[in-house]
Amino acid sequence: MTDAVTSTAQRAAARPAPVAEPLAHKLAAQALSLAEQAAAQSDALSAWRQAALAQLAALPFPSKKTEQWKYTSLMALDAGHLTAQAPDQAPSQTLPEPLAPWRLVLINGRYHAELSQLPPQGVTLTRLDGSAEAPLEAPLSVAEDGLRTPFAWLNSAALQDGLLLTVADGVALDAPIEVLLLGSAEAASHCHTRLRLQLGAGSRATLIERYIGQGPVLTNAVTELVTGDNSDLVHYRLQAEAADTLHIGSLILVPGRDSRATSFQLMQGNALRRNDVRVLMAHSGASASLNGIFVGRGNTHTDNQICIEHRVPHAVSDQLFKGMAGDKARLVFNGRIHIFAGAKGTNAELSNKNLLLSPGAEVDTKPELEIYNDDVKCSHGTTCGQLDAQALFYLRSRGIAEPEAKRMLAFGFVNELLAALPDAAVAEWARPWLESALTEAAQA
Amino acid sequence: MLEIKDLRASVAGQDILKGLNLSVKAGEVHAIMGPNGSGKSTLTNVLSGRDGYEITGGQALFDGRDVSELDPEQRAHAGMFLAFQYPVEIPGVSNLEFLKASLEATRKAQGKEPWDAVTLLKKARETCKQVDLDPQFLKRGVNEGFSGGEKKRNEIMQMLLLEPRLALLDETDSGLDIDALQVVARGVNSLRSPDRAIVLVTHYQRLLDYIVPDHVHVLAGGRILKSGGKELALELEQKGYGWLTDQEDVPA
Ligand SMILES: Nc1ncnc2c1ncn2[C@@H]1O[C@H](COP(=O)(O)OP(=O)(O)O)[C@@H](O)[C@H]1O
Ligand SMILES: [Mg+2]
Repeated sequence: MTDAVTSTAQRAAARPAPVAEPLAHKLAAQALSLAEQAAAQSDALSAWRQAALAQLAALPFPSKKTEQWKYTSLMALDAGHLTAQAPDQAPSQTLPEPLAPWRLVLINGRYHAELSQLPPQGVTLTRLDGSAEAPLEAPLSVAEDGLRTPFAWLNSAALQDGLLLTVADGVALDAPIEVLLLGSAEAASHCHTRLRLQLGAGSRATLIERYIGQGPVLTNAVTELVTGDNSDLVHYRLQAEAADTLHIGSLILVPGRDSRATSFQLMQGNALRRNDVRVLMAHSGASASLNGIFVGRGNTHTDNQICIEHRVPHAVSDQLFKGMAGDKARLVFNGRIHIFAGAKGTNAELSNKNLLLSPGAEVDTKPELEIYNDDVKCSHGTTCGQLDAQALFYLRSRGIAEPEAKRMLAFGFVNELLAALPDAAVAEWARPWLESALTEAAQA
Repeated sequence: MLEIKDLRASVAGQDILKGLNLSVKAGEVHAIMGPNGSGKSTLTNVLSGRDGYEITGGQALFDGRDVSELDPEQRAHAGMFLAFQYPVEIPGVSNLEFLKASLEATRKAQGKEPWDAVTLLKKARETCKQVDLDPQFLKRGVNEGFSGGEKKRNEIMQMLLLEPRLALLDETDSGLDIDALQVVARGVNSLRSPDRAIVLVTHYQRLLDYIVPDHVHVLAGGRILKSGGKELALELEQKGYGWLTDQEDVPA
């Protein structure tokens, strides 16, 4: 124990310019201390934790000076979120109706078998906790490692529980698997959630990640999706937690050769929301489609950092994200497309459109292109505007009251995304979700 | 029904209506003609409450109520309808969804019985046919990608469903071929009744062959320069507006 504390202090002291960033310094020390305590455990996950601890210690912790964290302050974590664990408890609330016949439930990062319905034959569920008989080998490639943020490394280093779902080759699931992640606490605390889905060759699956909860709990989430050759994946990340929660999440997607992956992320802003999405196009013929709707309410903060790396020839990616910010909400979007020298025949598209619903709201959006190949198609566009005054008047002149007219226009703004949701259960969930997200966004 | 007294209005700080008087009674059809830029659309926009069109003097009374006290939606609930010169495209909001919201709110405010989804769809389809619009248009975004003529017919369709008591039609005939013009005219005529009034803004006498007005007015320089019966429209067709506006240009 004493040992761990000493080494934390030593590692933190070795960081550049800690004095100018007292908060970052403090948080870095807290994160390391967490990781070191966890790494001291000896169980099936030891190898994961040790390796991750080394990475965490070597990487600079985010601060205001880190370019990718320019718009997101970690001030919200100053209340000691990283020093206390969210309680391991039964659900504090009735769980919402499932969106799928198979649902796995995690509460503050811990899997609850008694609340879960196991997926069918062809899908293997491995629990990523310390209890496994043999040590769990990290199924990660070095290329994926490079996609991890310090918070993602912290997740691995402090890992206590998580789920690995493996869909066997050639298995086609005819209904989605839902993973419900409830995060809830009364006092400032944190939990780590870990989810990995591996699709076998020629398989087909739909995964719904649904985050709910309330209270000052930081969910430090990592979701990894690694798909096999010629597989089909539909993925949803529904983030409908209360405004007082915090979420720092990584989504890592590595689509297989000639595979198709489509992801929809629907999220509301909260006290702190940071999503790092990393897509690695490392297999030719793969296509990845990333879509999202984000709605900011109150004083919330939502930062989406998307990065797609095209490392091989002939892969296709597209991104369509739409943001709406009400009241004093802040939205950040950074869409990075990196096309490597050898990646000829790449086709990459990026669009981020935003709507400011109130004069106090703020949006920062930026495409970031790094292209080292001439033989590519790459288009990008980001916009930020307000509700169309002419359209608003048109609706009102037909007897539609102003708040309802605004709501209709906001729905209209994202309708193409709602209409594209491939699963009926999610589409039915999404409309009332957006309805209430917009109602909250309209409140001052 | 509509009493406009010495109405003055400005747009973007510029005075456009400069003392306009007009009285429209239930059962009447009025045509307003006049050169481009004379303030015809400004008048219809002021009456329906568009932002940025400011009343600087005089007043407009609808059923005895000063319109400036009413929001645009309240004017619609009171029975006013504006067929836009340039109907707005609203991608992502379907025509049917829009009609549903419009009719629900308006009928409720008017104390009319609500229409259920089946009735609404049936009425909307029938009305589409009445204005020669394929019912498939109900599924498309409001005016999204509609041709000029389709947009105008969409306006008339909405008007027929909303059954306003005062319809203001701003150049609904512009850009229509003769068949479409007849469709629009039939729609407007079907709305004519002793308790309704219609104000047609038009450039062309042609429309008035199909919708015969009780009164014709010439609007120029922000004022009604001349009023008369339907024969005034014919006279304007022959002589243009010059003979009227020239008089106006004489310094006072
Ligand atoms: N929104 C606006 N902003 C600035 N000027 C306007 C606006 N609307 C109308 N105007 C001006 O007001 C005058 C009258 O326009 P309008 O009422 O549209 O004429 P009409 O419909 O008779 O052709 C024109 O000079 C026009 O440029
Ligand atoms: Mg006009």
